[in-house]
Amino acid sequence: MLGKLIKHELRATAHTMLPVLGIMLLVSALANLGARLMNGREVPAVVTVLFTLVVILFVTGLFAIGLVTVLLMVQRFRGNLLRDEGYIMHTLPVSVHAHIWSKVIVSTLWYALTGVTVVLSVMLAAMDIDFIRSLGKMLGEFAKLMSKDIKNVEILTELLALLVLGGLTASLSFDAALSIGHSFANRKMLLSVCVFVGMIILSQLTTVGLFNLFDWIGVNVELDAYNITGFMGTWRFACGVTALLMTFYGAICYGVTAFFMKRRLNLE
Amino acid sequence: MPVLECKGLSKSYGSKRALDGIDLRVESGRIVGLLGPNGSGKTTLIKLANGLLTPTQGRILINGLEPGVETKRAVSYLPERTCLPDWMSARDLMGFYGDFYADFDKRAAEDMLSRLGVDLRARMKSLSKGSREKVQLIMVMARRARLYLLDEPIGGVDPAARDYILNTIISNYNPEASVIISTHLISDVEKVLDDVIFINQGKIILAAPADELREQQGKSVDEIFREVFRC
Repeated sequence: MLGKLIKHELRATAHTMLPVLGIMLLVSALANLGARLMNGREVPAVVTVLFTLVVILFVTGLFAIGLVTVLLMVQRFRGNLLRDEGYIMHTLPVSVHAHIWSKVIVSTLWYALTGVTVVLSVMLAAMDIDFIRSLGKMLGEFAKLMSKDIKNVEILTELLALLVLGGLTASLSFDAALSIGHSFANRKMLLSVCVFVGMIILSQLTTVGLFNLFDWIGVNVELDAYNITGFMGTWRFACGVTALLMTFYGAICYGVTAFFMKRRLNLE
Repeated sequence: MPVLECKGLSKSYGSKRALDGIDLRVESGRIVGLLGPNGSGKTTLIKLANGLLTPTQGRILINGLEPGVETKRAVSYLPERTCLPDWMSARDLMGFYGDFYADFDKRAAEDMLSRLGVDLRARMKSLSKGSREKVQLIMVMARRARLYLLDEPIGGVDPAARDYILNTIISNYNPEASVIISTHLISDVEKVLDDVIFINQGKIILAAPADELREQQGKSVDEIFREVFRC
């Protein structure tokens, strides 16, 4: 059933996400086209104004698209599971866990695609013959760097794994805050935001508290790790600690979301 | 085994008691009217049967099981409000219901939709509120479920639409299944009911076969309801 939920979730979110990502790429292409048109040429004032608008849109889009994706995913979770559509979704022969996983997996996928779109947009806006040549060169150097030492591949893989874990954890934290906030009778969205802010403060305090605790007992985590194991060991250590903290935080958020959706569901 | 059984079922929202120690059995093959004024606990009972709420005390069983994934396979639920996703077309909805419910009869749904004159490609947001309500009812009644839970299916619709809705229910439900219709519009549904349950302030105050009740009291169920719930 998880596969079916993911299939329908992808369809429902693609309905809003594909136009958003498509528009971003289109604006990037227009920015590129405008720059080429205006390159050292006299153009009518109206073209200059239009180009300026496209550039403003492009720069704003680059910064805003991540936020737009997060807001759309939050809106999707809320609308589909915590408001009217929840009457259909929560009466499907599907467990709460499958619902949460389908939302988290699909959200993470869209976060990743948004990241790819941002990179593609920058490349598209800057693209010309020289850029394509230098891109080929850069890719060649990147491949060389990767093949030079297996550790580089490991670092890249671990970094990507951390990003995926970060996407999953972020999704779970939004879902947990929404589930708690929507269990109240009134001001559900406001309370969800308050809960989310509270969760961030609490998680930061816990992390800082943990490191202070290590300091207090005489362990300088970062320095000791470096002295003992060198760069690769420190990198592994940092990745491991980050992954552990994110997994722990994500697991708590998951448990909270499942509990509130099972026991405290309060559909309008 | 009863299709639906409640044992000392209570549900509270904070200090407010919505259901108060209900004991109830609904057998297979019956059309049951869950009748009561607004705020009497009808919707709470139906939500509990669907697993949308959890009991504060007591138990509710569907085919002998607590509400969960298994019972949801057997229950076809019409919520009080229309909640179909706006962006979906009737064809999308059939795909959706067909994917999740093995007992969904796509041909029956297509047949009902074509009789209603709904364009299968039209998105829900382009349909009138009345048409959306009917499409939702069609999706619910196109299932060959064991228990249909219909929450206020004729509330807020015109008399012609009420006839359409009742005809759709009567001509499409699985005869081996039970249908529970929650409403306060008794006169419209009375003719189709096998049993009636009167509920008020979270308590069952009467549960009997409709014919027996009419015979005993020499009045229609609607008249009895008006007497019992007179303000």
